[in-house]
Amino acid sequence: MNLKKYLSLTRAGIMESLQFRLGTVVMVIGNLLYLIVVYFLWKAIYASAGTDVVNGMTFTDTLIYLVLATALFGFMEMYTVWEIGRNIQSGKIVLDLLKPMEYRRYLFWSYSGSFVTQFFFTFLPTFIIVGIVTHGAIPLGVNLLYFVISVVMAVSINYSIDFFVGTICLFTESIWGINIMKQVIVLLLSGATIPIAFFPEPLKTIVYYLPFQSIYNAPLTLLLDGDPKFETVITILGTQLIWCIVMTVLSTLFWKVSLRQITVNGG
Amino acid sequence: MSAIIQIKNVTKEFKVLNRREGLKGSLKDLFSRDYKIVRAVDNISMDIEQGEIVGYLGPNGAGKSTTIKMMTGVLEPTSGEILVGGNIPYQNRAKNAQEIGVVFGQRSQLWWALPLIESFKLLKDIYQISDSDYKSMMHLYQSLVDIEPLLHKPVRQMSLGQRTLSDILAAFLHNPKIVFLDEPTIGLDVSMKSKIRILINALNKEKNTTVILTTHDMGDVDALCRRIVIIDKGKMLYNNDIEHLKGFFGSYRTLKIRMDGDLKQQAEVIQKELPDFSVSADEEWISVLVDEEKSKVMEVLNQLQKSHEIRDMQLEEISTEDVIKKIYEEGVE
Repeated sequence: MNLKKYLSLTRAGIMESLQFRLGTVVMVIGNLLYLIVVYFLWKAIYASAGTDVVNGMTFTDTLIYLVLATALFGFMEMYTVWEIGRNIQSGKIVLDLLKPMEYRRYLFWSYSGSFVTQFFFTFLPTFIIVGIVTHGAIPLGVNLLYFVISVVMAVSINYSIDFFVGTICLFTESIWGINIMKQVIVLLLSGATIPIAFFPEPLKTIVYYLPFQSIYNAPLTLLLDGDPKFETVITILGTQLIWCIVMTVLSTLFWKVSLRQITVNGG
Repeated sequence: MSAIIQIKNVTKEFKVLNRREGLKGSLKDLFSRDYKIVRAVDNISMDIEQGEIVGYLGPNGAGKSTTIKMMTGVLEPTSGEILVGGNIPYQNRAKNAQEIGVVFGQRSQLWWALPLIESFKLLKDIYQISDSDYKSMMHLYQSLVDIEPLLHKPVRQMSLGQRTLSDILAAFLHNPKIVFLDEPTIGLDVSMKSKIRILINALNKEKNTTVILTTHDMGDVDALCRRIVIIDKGKMLYNNDIEHLKGFFGSYRTLKIRMDGDLKQQAEVIQKELPDFSVSADEEWISVLVDEEKSKVMEVLNQLQKSHEIRDMQLEEISTEDVIKKIYEEGVE
């Protein structure tokens, strides 16, 4: 594998995302507004609960978790489904398919650039601010290493799911409904909108058997646990690794099978 | 030498859902399994040699794009064989992609937000072009077009003509054996069209690249192609040299003459004198459609001059456009 051609896609992606300065600013403001809503919502929830600790999490715990989940979303969400759908509808997908590179990889690496910029412009600042504001509520130790490993796998799982759903667009030739459905399912079941600790027991059990919690819940759990047991770490990372492989294989196969069916617009 | 593209009895069928009318019909369609088979390409065979420029013509919806998509490997033929540079395109898409370049007139493969030079650098890495090949290609480009002002301009700020030009350069960058140009001059002004034709011709000569060109502009065909293939409704109508095409409907030329007096009346008189040819008249001219296999235009003119006073004359050749139009409308007999 020649890494250079992939890295130059990343490079172009970084340059491209830096072209749209205003877009970045608007996104940061949007995230900020969302966080304000989250703050007041959970404040009300904790006030009505009457106790400081709900489902084993304090208000601060919950807030840190959700703020970081939002920041994580900011750079992990690649809008792959949109991109595939749009490319299919406009027929541009033909040009992408004619690159001497697998489409799955081509799309991923084209996106990886905005990834890098998002990491430095939204996730890292949020992380640092949360750290400062909460006076070190985020433990800084070996958990950071686990977190990084976990995020890399989370990115891969997230992309595979997106790519899988995007592939469905080959058949439906419509994007909107599918994308919304995917987004709601992923964000809810991954613990990005509500911490999984708050789920009712039966649902919690189901969720742990699904791949989604490996995307947001897993890395955040590893990050926020200052003194993780070795077993816990291995279980979480192991689960992620399994899902990583399974989803990669599934989405690749599904794409290969589907591509044979492809009819591109404008013949 | 074996052909670079070999197409043998290729057919492509699409399954299309039978849509019903109205809201009720649309609702029913949601559960319908009622498909009909549409044959977009019907038993086409042709060979294309390395270095040829072939015009691939046909009315809208004739199956041109479908054929091209099969040659590039995006679509798999329903039956028949396609070999492009020895590869079966849809089985070896990535390998095939290395050998071909594509330009779709209405879409761009360039990176929208970035200056052109960045797109070139990216393509250099993606196609793994060596530094020396890249340099010599850029030299060639500089000698052919004034590329310098374009290189540092973001693609989204380019005019359509500049963008198309850039797209063509991008498609040739990795020195592919075959370049597919799908309506490259669509929507361009006259001077840009001619610039692009000159560029394509030069690149074809310089690199011996095979070019498959689809277009609706007969100017492109006259300027570039030595050979054309015409298809309609998926069937191949014509596959031969362009000269041969002109003799296809006999060797007709139109002789136009101007005379004093009422042209309609005089046309009737001339028609009696020349029973072999059809004569018509409009406001300014009397037109005689001369079949040169029966008698030469000069003989007809001489004969007319004896009995009429001719003030002015014009000679019209039948153009490629006329012939193609005739083929589209009437088919080949």
